[in-house]
Amino acid sequence: MAPGLSRNRVIAGLALASVVAISGTASAHRRDEYLQAARIAVDPDRVQIELDLTAGISVAEAVIRDIDRDGSGSITRDEARTYATAVVRTLRLDADRMPLQVELINVTVPALEAIRNGEGAIRLELGARLPALAAGAHQIFFLNAHRADIGVYLANALVPTSPRIAVAAQRRDVAQREITIDYALTASPTTSARTLFALGALAVLSLAAFGWMRERPAL
Amino acid sequence: MSITFRPLAIALLGAVLIVSGTALTNRTSAQSPTAASADSTSRIVAAANAVLASLDDAGRAKVQFPLEGPQKTRWSNLPSPMFQRQGLLLADLTPAQRTAVTNLLTTALSKDGYRKVTEIMRGDEVLKTGSGGGGGGRGRGGAGGGPSFGQDQYYLAFLGTPSSTSPWLLQFGGHHLAINLTLAGSRASMTPSLPAAQPARFTIEGREIRPLGKENDKAFALINALDATVRGQAILNSRVSDLVLGPGQDGRVIQPEGARASTFTPAQQTMLLELMREWAGIMNDAFAEPRMAELRANLPQTYFAWSGPTTDGSAAYFRIQGPTLVIEYAPQQGSVDHVHTIYRDPTNDYGARFVAK
Repeated sequence: MAPGLSRNRVIAGLALASVVAISGTASAHRRDEYLQAARIAVDPDRVQIELDLTAGISVAEAVIRDIDRDGSGSITRDEARTYATAVVRTLRLDADRMPLQVELINVTVPALEAIRNGEGAIRLELGARLPALAAGAHQIFFLNAHRADIGVYLANALVPTSPRIAVAAQRRDVAQREITIDYALTASPTTSARTLFALGALAVLSLAAFGWMRERPAL
Repeated sequence: MSITFRPLAIALLGAVLIVSGTALTNRTSAQSPTAASADSTSRIVAAANAVLASLDDAGRAKVQFPLEGPQKTRWSNLPSPMFQRQGLLLADLTPAQRTAVTNLLTTALSKDGYRKVTEIMRGDEVLKTGSGGGGGGRGRGGAGGGPSFGQDQYYLAFLGTPSSTSPWLLQFGGHHLAINLTLAGSRASMTPSLPAAQPARFTIEGREIRPLGKENDKAFALINALDATVRGQAILNSRVSDLVLGPGQDGRVIQPEGARASTFTPAQQTMLLELMREWAGIMNDAFAEPRMAELRANLPQTYFAWSGPTTDGSAAYFRIQGPTLVIEYAPQQGSVDHVHTIYRDPTNDYGARFVAK
């Protein structure tokens, strides 16, 4: 057998093995989609969002190119933050229809090999400060428009850790790119105590004034 | 007057005692260890020790891990080596060692649970044969580092020392399977676990096999049994593309959605419980029954949510969520032939409640 033929067969064999391996991977896992799962925690004074981005194996290289801007084959901290900041710009977060400033708290990027395998999730931790809200019904709106060409989305409210928050409903569009969380906020115990004290003081003063008026000799 | 009042009072007192007694019995069966479960733990420990005795030092080093450490969360739906597992690989075992592992699994799991686990593994063998997988040489390390499929590609691990009194964890899994069974004396928890299937329907020797077929059938029967109003509450108006609380989501609790089981008829509640049993009943019956009693007690606070068509044979997602339960069933990329599921207890994953005591 000629060496050239042998080499060709090896190359053909390797190519076939790669196709088999890739098709095996593809058959087992997400392929041409970019899964973006948001979990939203509402606190009385803050909204926290965890956003997991998991690229399917067919789109993983495109996602990696977006992150690894210098094509070095590794992701630097700056590259990760630049990518995450770009993602944040495609998000919208409102409280009672007023836009909130979303801050990037942290980003973790798994090994490139894990992203290529469709396994690794890029995780963004985001936060936004809420303005002082009165007790009562409120609404958080979240929209994720990142890579709408390949994105599939999940959006869920987490069970609130604060007893002052009670989620009443979650409403989403069909694709879960956007979610509206209706919730009730109760007054903080401190606020309630202050209000009670103020009302009590007012009542005492009113009674005192009423008594003084009655005691005052008629002219 | 007093003559008619006295029997009435006695009857009322009797009724109160009966109701209290029944409630106490239910509570006891849900929360207290039973002799049957203590006996089961002993038999599982004996079977685990038989596995250890069948191994050499190297094998024992591979299978044993500390109870607290990274191995606890080292599970996934992905095949190896895309996801790097550790433990004792079935492909590396002698027939005698493999028999010991089989005996352990049949002891730790219910008959139907063992059937489910082995069918998931056989499905992976079909996937390997059908797609070529990547497995070569005892099915290990696919060509070019590709995924390894097949029923030999499953790992066993013990976290902590097998014991009839102290907590330890039996972990078994591979592609599309993760079983995390925590045993603590006579108590057991099998959450989080991930039974999945691809293909979801295949034929071996003329017999049709559907590893998660009962889950599918019972769920479609339930959604179609609900009256229009309750079904409308159960059906979400959005697409759910994947598990929300899959691997890597330990400790998170999402807001429940869908129809509350308290609005179901008794027959529909029974259907929901039987659907839950498909996950809760994977572990040995002695542990499954107290777990089912707990789920039954929490039924009024349990929600059933659905996303997708309600015609059986369609790809539809569903979720069952209660105070101590999350079950998700998620067809992948709209395929009925590739399904991931997750089974969690937000209060007791990895036996947290038992271990804390």
